[in-house]
Amino acid sequence: MSEIAHALIVTGYILSVVLTLAALLTWMERKQSALMQDRIGANRASILGFRAIGLFHIIADSLKMFLKEDFVPARGVRLFHTLAPFISAFCALAIFACIPFGPSLPLGDTTVNLWIFDSDISLLYVLALGSLGIYGIFFAGWSSHNKFAYLGAMRGAAQMLSYEIALGISLIGLIMVYGSLSLNDIVHYQGRQLFGFLPAWGVFLQPLACLIFLTAGIAESKRNPFDMPEGESEIIGYFTEYSSMKFGLFFLADFIEVVVVAALVTVLFFGGWQVPYLQADGFQLPGGTHWELAPLAVGLIQVGAFCAKLFFFCWLQLTIRWTLPRFRYDQLMRLGWQFLLPLSIANILVTGIILVCR
Amino acid sequence: MAKPKLNLLERLYLPEILRGLLITTRHHFANLTVHILHRVGLAKGKRGAVTFQYPEDPRPVARRLRARHRLMKRPDGSTRCVACMMCETICPAHCIYIVADEHPDPRIEKRPKSFDIDLGICVMCGYCVEACPEDAIRMDTYITETSSFTREGMLLTLDDLMNHHNEDNFPKHTSS
Amino acid sequence: MDKFTVTINGHTIEAKPGQSVLQTALDNGIHIPHYCFHPGLPVAGNCRMCLVEIEGVPKLQIACGTTVRDGMVVWSNNDRVRQAVRHVLEFLLINHPVDCPVCDQAGECGLQDYYMLVGRYDSRFAENKVVKHKKATPIGRWVMLDQERCILCSRCVRFTREITKTNEMAIFNRGDHAEIDVFPGGELRNRYSANIVDICPVGALTCRDFRFRCRVWYLKQAPSICPGCARGCNIAIHFNPERPHHAGGRRVLRFKPRPNPHVNAFWLCDDGRYSYPFIDDHRLRFAALREEGGVRQLYLKDALDRLADWLRASRSGRTAYLLSADSSNEELFAARKLLRDALGVRCLLPDTGLRTGDADDFLICEDKHPNTRGARILFGLGENDPVAPDRLEAGLGAELPELLLVNRADLPSPLRDKLLAAGTRLVFLGTNDNATAAAAHLVVPLVVFAEQAGTFTNFEGRVQKFELAVPPLGDAAPEWSVHQGLAERLGIDLAFPGPAAIFRQLTAEVDAFRGLSHESLTPHGAMIRHE
Repeated sequence: MSEIAHALIVTGYILSVVLTLAALLTWMERKQSALMQDRIGANRASILGFRAIGLFHIIADSLKMFLKEDFVPARGVRLFHTLAPFISAFCALAIFACIPFGPSLPLGDTTVNLWIFDSDISLLYVLALGSLGIYGIFFAGWSSHNKFAYLGAMRGAAQMLSYEIALGISLIGLIMVYGSLSLNDIVHYQGRQLFGFLPAWGVFLQPLACLIFLTAGIAESKRNPFDMPEGESEIIGYFTEYSSMKFGLFFLADFIEVVVVAALVTVLFFGGWQVPYLQADGFQLPGGTHWELAPLAVGLIQVGAFCAKLFFFCWLQLTIRWTLPRFRYDQLMRLGWQFLLPLSIANILVTGIILVCR
Repeated sequence: MAKPKLNLLERLYLPEILRGLLITTRHHFANLTVHILHRVGLAKGKRGAVTFQYPEDPRPVARRLRARHRLMKRPDGSTRCVACMMCETICPAHCIYIVADEHPDPRIEKRPKSFDIDLGICVMCGYCVEACPEDAIRMDTYITETSSFTREGMLLTLDDLMNHHNEDNFPKHTSS
Repeated sequence: MDKFTVTINGHTIEAKPGQSVLQTALDNGIHIPHYCFHPGLPVAGNCRMCLVEIEGVPKLQIACGTTVRDGMVVWSNNDRVRQAVRHVLEFLLINHPVDCPVCDQAGECGLQDYYMLVGRYDSRFAENKVVKHKKATPIGRWVMLDQERCILCSRCVRFTREITKTNEMAIFNRGDHAEIDVFPGGELRNRYSANIVDICPVGALTCRDFRFRCRVWYLKQAPSICPGCARGCNIAIHFNPERPHHAGGRRVLRFKPRPNPHVNAFWLCDDGRYSYPFIDDHRLRFAALREEGGVRQLYLKDALDRLADWLRASRSGRTAYLLSADSSNEELFAARKLLRDALGVRCLLPDTGLRTGDADDFLICEDKHPNTRGARILFGLGENDPVAPDRLEAGLGAELPELLLVNRADLPSPLRDKLLAAGTRLVFLGTNDNATAAAAHLVVPLVVFAEQAGTFTNFEGRVQKFELAVPPLGDAAPEWSVHQGLAERLGIDLAFPGPAAIFRQLTAEVDAFRGLSHESLTPHGAMIRHE
């Protein structure tokens, strides 16, 4: 199989997983919040009287977005106004290029690698693209010629810059342990075991970093309790002046970011596609029991495990979003600068000391 | 207001977050289970949601609900209103428009030539009912569906206010 | 001794000998409740509301019927007086139907006011009320009588006896059955009849014209001058600014007299009082241009462009202006500066309002324009002015003018036809529609007096100020701003920032008005310097 065909197939697979999940999340968010609050949730959109527990709302929504007027404020900057949602969506989607969605699957005489590229700087690439997302927000706010949009964008930029730092620094300890910036290497590392029985997942090696990363990640994706830039219910944010599919793209980018955070947490802290005790030739339980499996079966179990983990962290983010009230802006800033940043630096020191003393 | 004192665990925030997450998660899965059981025809007695499926399954309204207005009638079927404009005056939304006219009976003297209420502006405060010295206007029709596709459609005229299709449902209490 | 010192409620006050205690208190801002007393009418002393305690006198006395003595000490606010007045009010209200919801007086009713001030009791009257004969019967062109609401203060009877001396009304029957009425078969036949509506403290006499039009608490007031005749009676314009669904959309709903001892005392004639509908009815709202194929509406600024072109094109001496005695002094002065002084236009005052023999010896004048005197002074008009309609053509000069500006007046139709046949361009500047406006080549809408501030000079030379009541309708503009707009377009330096500034300029330039100022016109106006 030529490399290009291989890359196209894998890209297609990853995009379909991510986009389907993101679309599904729009429905999940409504249904889950409804269930958490003893409501029923969206269930009205129907095709021929068939309601499919509200799943048609995804179609109805997108149809509505497509049919709405594409509005640009009279004194706005059309170019940047149009560019902004594309930047947001692009930055969120491009991160998936280096995320391993599974191991190398042996298919007949070839192997399929379930990642688009792997390099020694994958993690830096992820962080870089994550930071670029700010441009989407800021362009949107600035080009709208609207005070509220602009203020929302300012809040968004300030918040994302602040949490970017904690996010990056929390990963340094992890890199010190794993010794690599390649996400593939990191996942492979997590296939080992600690003390003979505990999977060597990031969450066990770096629990504090995991907590900081999850917190900062949610802040980066601008969701409750950190949804100050949007404040959809009242303060309104950077996409005040957006309608139609441009708004739809922002909306989608939001949910893609949820998947991004879920994927990164999975890969960095929860073993990626690794299943505990599952080695290349089958399960090897700590007691010495061995259960042999075909390589393809192992691969498929691992792919399934990744998807399950991804889904779980998406669910967790939705649960957090519908449980916690929003921070006040000063609380948000204090949390970022006065707690997460010192804690992540302390985490590096402690990790360093342990690594040296070992 | 005095702020409650938080102990160390509460101030750490994380345990409290976990507690909150547990509560919402419990609701989530409990309700999910009930809904799934409903699908297969079980647990009919348990409700998974407090939602009323509105148009098909209208919500029972309180007896003292302030709903769309009506004008009361005299025994001969004419309106009890004497166009004193107390309601128009007290109305905080300025949604009542009365034009007064001479009543053929000199003992009554005054009557409304037109009596319009713009439901598109009305805030349903009930002040008009309180202000009326003749008990001529009430808000006890229990008609809550008053939407229209045009602004003109939201305007209730004297005729709309005096004749109702669901007159049998109105409370029967007599005026004092 | 020409000044007494009396003490009312602890305030030491100077009083004129012979004055009543009530008048003294009212003049000094101390309100003592009263119904039958009216400063313009003789004292009757029958309502007993103005009871006061006078030190040294054992029983309570009525303040309206007691003249002041030097060193008198009067109390109107102690418990004894309050209780007595409350009981008087309770008696007055015994047979009152309390039909405030249908009563037009509600909101300006003496019974309501004093009930809230001194009453506030719960009714103790368990017996049946005495029901009078008449409920809402017209007793004249303008007045509606409701005997049930009457408290027998007799103000109306005294008015017809003392002021109009027509004696149409009286109190009939006795005791509980006493009631006011016109004499059998009669009706109010005087030209001041609606004043009894004003002086009636309750809802017994209400206005037929205002009947059920609007509740009085929706009305706002602006001080003004009656435009009905040359007398210049002081009025308050009552207008309804917020609820256009009342009275068919009319904004101004009534004129009420405003006291001015030098002009109208407390009164206003029916003709002037009911002249108000012209403020809202048949108004010209937008400029109109007659072209081939019909009349076209246009913006005021475009109409002024057109008029300025015509003024420029017209040869000098062939333009004439018919001014109006309905214009304020300020408007006339602006016309004088632009048309007479700067452009040399021939200015005439046509006489359209003189009704010979219509005057009486009280308020009504023959001249039905409010500002003829002002127009005479400002344009230096002589013996032959105003020009009677039949002499108007001769007044316009040997040749008919090329351009004729008509302010408000309706030209006699023969003259109008002749002018149009002769090719004269007819420009109508006015407030209300008439046949001349319909025939004019260009119509410029003006505001009426109620839509601007200004001054009128009445027939005896009293300059009086009126104030803006309602905003202009449509594109209508004050006449002075029309003249200013023309001046701008013609390159003439005339700056009129507003009516107050014009009045200052006018007092500086016109001898008769020298020394007057807006301050000196308050509250009762001021006389011009006699030529």
